[in-house]
Amino acid sequence: MTEAAVGGPSIYPAAPPSIEADGLGWTYAGRTRPAIEGLTFRLEGGRVLLVLGPSGSGKSTLARALAGLVPHVLPGSWQGGLRVGGLEVADTPARLLGERIGLVFQDPESQLVMSRVDDEVAFGLENRGWPRPAMVSRVPDALAQVGLSGFEPRSTITLSGGEKQRLAIADILAARPGLLVLDEPTANLDPPGMHSIFERLEVLARRREHTIVLIEHRLDAALPLADDVLLIDDEGHQLAFAPAGSVGREAVELLERSGAWVPRAWRGARPAGKPTGERAVELSGESAASGSRSVEVGVLLLEAADVHIEYPADESGTRVALDRVSASVRAGERIALVGPNGAGKSSLLFALAGLLRPAAGTVRLRALPRDGEAAEPMRDPSRLRARELAARIGLVFQDPELGFVAGTARDEVSATARATAGRDGPSAGAPDQQGADGVLAHFGLGHLAGEVPFRLSQGEQRRLSLAALALRPPAVLLLDEPTFGLDRRGTEAVLALLDDRRTAGQAQILATHDPRLLPACDRVVALDRGRVVFDGSPDAFLAAPPYEPAAPWRDGVAHGRSTAPRQADR
Amino acid sequence: MSVLPAPLAPTRPAFLTRTTPAARLVAGTAWLVASIITLDPIVPVRLSLAAIVALWLWSGLPLRRIPRRLAPLGFAMLSLTAFSILLSSANGDISLAAVAQIGPARITGPAISAGVAVGLRIVVIALTTLLVFGPSDLTRMADSLVQQWHFPDRFAYGTLAALRVAPFMAGDWITIGAARRLRGITPRSPVGRVREAGGRLMVMLVSSIRRAERLALAMDARGFDSGVRRTHFRELRMGWRDWLTITVALAVAAAALFVAR
Repeated sequence: MTEAAVGGPSIYPAAPPSIEADGLGWTYAGRTRPAIEGLTFRLEGGRVLLVLGPSGSGKSTLARALAGLVPHVLPGSWQGGLRVGGLEVADTPARLLGERIGLVFQDPESQLVMSRVDDEVAFGLENRGWPRPAMVSRVPDALAQVGLSGFEPRSTITLSGGEKQRLAIADILAARPGLLVLDEPTANLDPPGMHSIFERLEVLARRREHTIVLIEHRLDAALPLADDVLLIDDEGHQLAFAPAGSVGREAVELLERSGAWVPRAWRGARPAGKPTGERAVELSGESAASGSRSVEVGVLLLEAADVHIEYPADESGTRVALDRVSASVRAGERIALVGPNGAGKSSLLFALAGLLRPAAGTVRLRALPRDGEAAEPMRDPSRLRARELAARIGLVFQDPELGFVAGTARDEVSATARATAGRDGPSAGAPDQQGADGVLAHFGLGHLAGEVPFRLSQGEQRRLSLAALALRPPAVLLLDEPTFGLDRRGTEAVLALLDDRRTAGQAQILATHDPRLLPACDRVVALDRGRVVFDGSPDAFLAAPPYEPAAPWRDGVAHGRSTAPRQADR
Repeated sequence: MSVLPAPLAPTRPAFLTRTTPAARLVAGTAWLVASIITLDPIVPVRLSLAAIVALWLWSGLPLRRIPRRLAPLGFAMLSLTAFSILLSSANGDISLAAVAQIGPARITGPAISAGVAVGLRIVVIALTTLLVFGPSDLTRMADSLVQQWHFPDRFAYGTLAALRVAPFMAGDWITIGAARRLRGITPRSPVGRVREAGGRLMVMLVSSIRRAERLALAMDARGFDSGVRRTHFRELRMGWRDWLTITVALAVAAAALFVAR
């Protein structure tokens, strides 16, 4: 073997290390509250640990500690002990830890460094000083482990989301780490991409060549892989560490109360009739059924007819993003817009909002008629003035930060009203401010009125982006992945707020990859390669997803469940 | 949503795709120097022709896509040519006959020739840049800078990583603008517009810094700049093709300069 001849650091597989945490705690510099505190557990080498906890429970901090980024790269204060394969993390140089431990992050876009696939896999090996012949033989092996054989010369920008994330895993596997830590590796992926990651993780887990620590929100897919589970509450305290099959009922209830997602298998085991259980099981059903609608589903608010959109591409000239797409939404109706990445969901949202003028076809929009008044005529949103548009349609982006326009949460809420005031007539500043504070209180942000929007947590930012549309609620609300990165409590909060608006007649279109949201919608519109391939009830969609293979689109929701939202009579 | 066209990349292996970026940089620099040191328009004409032949035969780049890519430069070239002709000092020389009269401005022959030479330089610069950077991706350029010219790893690969995320910034910019339009925020006064652009930039800055932080953390997690001497997956060495490229480029530059008309 050439590897033996040249020698070098860690080119032989490391034995999967055990993990021992002994009162582990970490407080980031500038924070008073620890991100994690008192974690104490022992994971045997070669086992798979699934970490469960709500947002803010410090799951990512644990991942960073295992990889040595905490305390060696990020500033803060460390308590207790953490040993990986017998090495005390805090006392071992980051370089040595890096040879034994691999960390995969959530967002594939911001962890790929190189533009060619084989260069990308080799990057971590180059950094660790591997001799060239060892790299040349290792790169194809690592790609084969994630099912990307033959991808070596491809450009990383041509890969799908799932392929990018598998590449990120190959990057880590290439260095033969004994411990593999994955921090929500499927969060940014569409259902087929998510499915492909779990397939690969299953193979890795079965081989027992790595100790694996997995942090995931998609618990129903992740739980079957786990040998052990670690439950953490919203303050970073350990609730339980146990084999995956024998978690105490009390710990599960505490986890649930802390706002985390809980795997369906655990909820089913609980005796029926427990109030806390009911609420969580029927998250979507409850949200959908709550409140009664004052406006009947009926008035047509937004209609797209034969919309055709193309983008400039490379050799072929153009790429068709939307191919004669027709869709409509009525007052009080909530539609889920689904489809794999690149199916045209974002393009459709942009076209519906009048931000993208179709090459052919029409988009027509109107405001919600006031009581007793006749509906206004339908108009082309791309020809409306900004203030007319703002009253009729709103868009909440997947990354709420990109939509913030003001320096404080309070100004954020009143920004639209202020921008459109003075043209509609005189409007004093004071009532606006009172209104804004009321809105913030209603959205659970009352104590943050003076805070800079960028400094809020992910869940708070999401609620603020909805609060910003509350003073002048648009007739139609478009939402791109509205529950992305949120735990169960955050998701319920967002859905409850959306329910309020829908009750008042707002039409809502949610682009989402999360099948758990579908039962909370009245209708599902499915796109594939720029065409509408399904338009019907969530039940019908989940019974027979219009994709091949169909299985990834069903994961995460109970099948044959009769909890679909009340369909208003039409 | 893809808003940017795919980058121009070789579609087939060719002579120049097998040369190192360092060699092409030397060769390209020779042409740029040659096109700048004289006002005679024949030199950039000859170099442009040579560059077109080289692009056609040896670059591996898809020729059909090149004109559209260079279109924005065409505008720069035409306006630069026009202004050079109009403002040339040769126009004031009354011993020269006027070729044309535009209003108060008289245009002389030497002014036209010098102006055309200036415009043609832009063509040489554009085509030479394509020949230098086109045949291999930027990763090879970074490899070359580090291995052949001994630039620091941190600078070369850090810059490379930053360039890789640049397209996302373009996407962010569009999203930020869209969000503001939908919030009814459309400044009317010039001052309002400037303030509005500042707000957009601020949001993009925050988002870019977040992205950069994530990328830096991911690079750290993979052992970048951890004190280990970095090895190279792709070793770049000067080969016969590199020496031939440099020799031919120097010969062409000399010929363009010194062969009489």
